[in-house]
Amino acid sequence: MPSIVPAFGWLEGLAWTTALRESPFGYPLIETSHVACIVVFAGLVIMMDLRLVGLAFTQAPLAQIQRRLFPWQMGSFVPSMATGILLFCVDPLRYYRNVLFLAKLVFLVLAGLNALAFHLKTYRRVEGWDEDTQVTAIARLAGGASLLLWSLIIVSSRLIPNNWFK
Amino acid sequence: MLLPFFEWCDGLAISQAYRDSTYLFPVTQALHLLAVTIFVGAIVIGDLRMLGWGPLGQSRASITRSAGSILLWAGLAVLLTGIPQFTTNALTYHRSWLFVFKMYVLAAALLFTVTVRQRVAGADEGRLPSWVPKAVGAVSLALWMGVTISGRLITYYG
Repeated sequence: MPSIVPAFGWLEGLAWTTALRESPFGYPLIETSHVACIVVFAGLVIMMDLRLVGLAFTQAPLAQIQRRLFPWQMGSFVPSMATGILLFCVDPLRYYRNVLFLAKLVFLVLAGLNALAFHLKTYRRVEGWDEDTQVTAIARLAGGASLLLWSLIIVSSRLIPNNWFK
Repeated sequence: MLLPFFEWCDGLAISQAYRDSTYLFPVTQALHLLAVTIFVGAIVIGDLRMLGWGPLGQSRASITRSAGSILLWAGLAVLLTGIPQFTTNALTYHRSWLFVFKMYVLAAALLFTVTVRQRVAGADEGRLPSWVPKAVGAVSLALWMGVTISGRLITYYG
């Protein structure tokens, strides 16, 4: 099976990734933007999850909260993804070998699948969520899973620089 | 002027324990970021509502009340995880202009939140001119994002 390491080595050696890595402002500003965007995105996802599990904003209809927060969630998710990809491109060989980075990616995929399943299977099939403040058990479960996964994503993100499991 | 206080923080047993441990400081940092995320989420949902872009089905006062308990618990967690990080690196922070800047913005954000924002969010919907909650929401967002961004930049330029 061909190794992906040479491709990451090539990426790391490009002029623009080298310039960003060596710049006193490039990496810090991209990383700070990444953290700011992910804090807003995950923060709003967690608010939605708290609504789903019935711990907050219980007087607001779920569909309306979801509809009104969605543009802001996407508006912070897209730049957080873009800056995250940039951060990876700047130092791909370091991230590729980092177990905590790989764990973060797994949690991200699981959170994405959970959100997708919730929207396609649960959310679209439930009528009356525009007015109803009650939430079904399966929706509460999806909210709980999302809460756990986003907590793990944030924690693993912050632990990446430590690379304990070499 | 505050150097003796920073030196006292640096010399605390908990600061030494954090410096001696491989895991304690990074795990506390990670939990701090999680608490900050939840705190910012609760601030942003309230500010968006004041700006007229959040969930309109619930009143400003109701959203703020609901977010209030989240803010309280997440704020406590931010404080509990932030203090040992501060005491462990107190002498470094003493020389950091970004840390001082973050503390000023944090003080302004806290003061604004518990006074102006709290009062405007709790006011009856029609009582204030529509630009007032919008301005308060915008200032609150700017202040809390200022705290978050300056806190992160300390790592690089502190």
